[in-house]
Amino acid sequence: MDALGLLRPGASVSGLPAAHTPGAATGFALGDHAGRAQAAPAAEPGVVASTASGPLQRRFQPYQNNGGTVLAVAGKGFCVVASDTRLGLGYSIPSRKVSRILKMTDKVVLASSGMQADMLTLHKTLRMRLVQYQQTHQKHMSLTAASQMLSNMLYTRRFFPYYTFNVLGGIDENGEGWAYGYDAIGSHEKVSAVCSGTGQTLIQPVLDNQIEFKQQWGAPKVDLSLEATVELIRDAFTSAGERDIYTGDFVEICKITKDGVDVEEFQLKLD
Amino acid sequence: MSGLRLTEGSRGLAASVAVEGAPLTRTQVPYVTGSSVLGMKCADGVVIACDTMASYGTLARFKSLSRMHQVSPNCILGVGGDYSDFQQLQTMVDAEMTAQYVANDGLTLSPKAIHSFLARHMYHRRCKVDPLWNTVIVAGFDKGEGVLSLVDLFGTAFSSDVLATGFGLHLGLPLLRNAHRPDITVAEAKGVLEDILKVLFYRDARTNDVVQLASVTAAGVEIGKMTKLKTEWGYKSFVEGARVGDDSSW
Amino acid sequence: MFLTRSEYDRGVNTFSPEGRLFQVEYAIEAIKLGSTAVGICTTEGVILAVEKRLTSPLLTPSSIEKVLEIDTHIGAAMSGLTADARTLIDHGRIVTQEHRFTYDEPLSVESTTQSLCDLALRFGEDGRDDGADAMARPFGVALLIAGVDDEGGPALYHTDPSGTYVKWMAKAIGAGSEGAQTALQEAWSAGMTLAEAEGLALKTLKAVMEEKVSGENVEVAAVTAESGKFEVYSKEKLLACIGRL
Repeated sequence: MDALGLLRPGASVSGLPAAHTPGAATGFALGDHAGRAQAAPAAEPGVVASTASGPLQRRFQPYQNNGGTVLAVAGKGFCVVASDTRLGLGYSIPSRKVSRILKMTDKVVLASSGMQADMLTLHKTLRMRLVQYQQTHQKHMSLTAASQMLSNMLYTRRFFPYYTFNVLGGIDENGEGWAYGYDAIGSHEKVSAVCSGTGQTLIQPVLDNQIEFKQQWGAPKVDLSLEATVELIRDAFTSAGERDIYTGDFVEICKITKDGVDVEEFQLKLD
Repeated sequence: MSGLRLTEGSRGLAASVAVEGAPLTRTQVPYVTGSSVLGMKCADGVVIACDTMASYGTLARFKSLSRMHQVSPNCILGVGGDYSDFQQLQTMVDAEMTAQYVANDGLTLSPKAIHSFLARHMYHRRCKVDPLWNTVIVAGFDKGEGVLSLVDLFGTAFSSDVLATGFGLHLGLPLLRNAHRPDITVAEAKGVLEDILKVLFYRDARTNDVVQLASVTAAGVEIGKMTKLKTEWGYKSFVEGARVGDDSSW
Repeated sequence: MFLTRSEYDRGVNTFSPEGRLFQVEYAIEAIKLGSTAVGICTTEGVILAVEKRLTSPLLTPSSIEKVLEIDTHIGAAMSGLTADARTLIDHGRIVTQEHRFTYDEPLSVESTTQSLCDLALRFGEDGRDDGADAMARPFGVALLIAGVDDEGGPALYHTDPSGTYVKWMAKAIGAGSEGAQTALQEAWSAGMTLAEAEGLALKTLKAVMEEKVSGENVEVAAVTAESGKFEVYSKEKLLACIGRL
């Protein structure tokens, strides 16, 4: 099976209800849970399917996509990290308010989309590492240190990845705001604006255009204020919520300045 | 023979028996399954509800099994999914609670801690690709407040004012959301949950009409007796079926 | 006195009734037999200077190394059983590189010192899971650790076989440490420049050394706040220093 295809941001594989294999025996297909597991195709390389007379054999797929959109936008002396709070599963919304944001320090905030169980584990492990670092070195972890540590932690699961798409934002040692975007296995890039998750394709081009002035030939590049940035983020999420079924309910917006992290909540449509 | 091999036969055999010459694979599907669990947080506690059927595929195999389990004086579980995995979960949770008890330090796990413990265990099992095929609702009452949380076979874990699993996720959750108010009482919520179970019984073929409601309040856990739902089959659309021009199908 | 000691100086982890660990105390004694090393901390940086005992004219002086780099921003001077110091320095090199790998930043001077002291205190234990075998006895060496970091700027730490570390503005260890420490205490001032510290370090060594200071029998190293780098002086630079004395 296309195992790597699952790791593409925005790919919703096991989250969506599986299409029924034509002619497949449904005697053991149990409406509620089984819909998510997929029948093992007999032609799958390396898999010997059971004999035709036996019950249909299927394998547990350990990944699930709970959707969600996360973004980070850096500005002059600030950074904004935001995420919606919808927990999606197929065509259902098991919960409208599950936070995807981890405040790592007073200057560093992480937001993760993808699979909630993996996100939870990653955030718990990170929290442990942050406390250990603080106790060992008697200082708070810097943005750069956090960015490198996160990359390493993701890479330790190179062959059974955390199905999470992370954006990290904050203020570095020089007081400058920066954003970091990651893939599931730790590749990362230091940028001024990044969006990940199910709304990535809807929001990233808007950030490119409005923050980096891409496609605006000759237009003067001005730095957005914190207020203007938050305004842009609200609009971006509102728009993504219109078209992406996995984005909606509420947005948590973390404004990171030298004075610390200020969180505001913003209501999206519940549909 | 090379590569993976799907083992055959019953789950008990399939669970961890390596086929000679092939790497060990764990094939798992749920066999005897429970359907929905519903939960609602109230001003004075938490209520959860479920039916009492365990199906074997399309066969209504067991029709009066409890899918609730009391963990501590202020915490219960309502479990959907594979029934044998639920029983293993009970053994495992009880063992943990006993381990806490024999420490004799007067401390017991809070509902929040039990939820976290379950979440770590379920995540650990999914990472072994050998999950416990359940969705668990944890209901508790701690520090003057109700606790209502969920864990599933992936280790997904969260808390919410209203929760539903299985078929109830589709049919019950919208009804729960409509009915919920921050000031709703346990007594009121019991009526709401019973009504929703009735809807599920009408529409979910894996749900029966013998149900169980449980509450956790400041007074402790109260798991109700199994009771038969009072059903009404005389609705016009039930009797005559859907007609052209009706608002919806039956 | 020695009668009571003999009962309690066998096991490295056995306290005497007076509450002493004799093996650790003996290890500290071993340092007093070692060559003298001095370290001086200023706002501009830290100077390390050590005496090298050339016991024979046939000995190649450059083969004796008593000042070593741990990371680009940290170095250490040693006194005592210098072979033991290698184990400590190697450990320091590993933890500083591991820290860079994990956090993309240099390890602070204090954290480096702390991790060396953790190792120093691990005597008498079983080996660890990570493959680092524990020593059966305490390390017989003291270190002067000099470095710069973003937190506190230039810093000088002294570690001993008991695993204790203390931050100093100027510190002498080894055979001539008593006289040298007194000299440092008299001459050190808060407003000292690095060049002045360099002169003071050599002058102090010169006072406690039996031989005449030359380009062969001393080693000098510095870490500066400006460059953030640790550097062992080249022969030319060392001779220039001695020339200024």
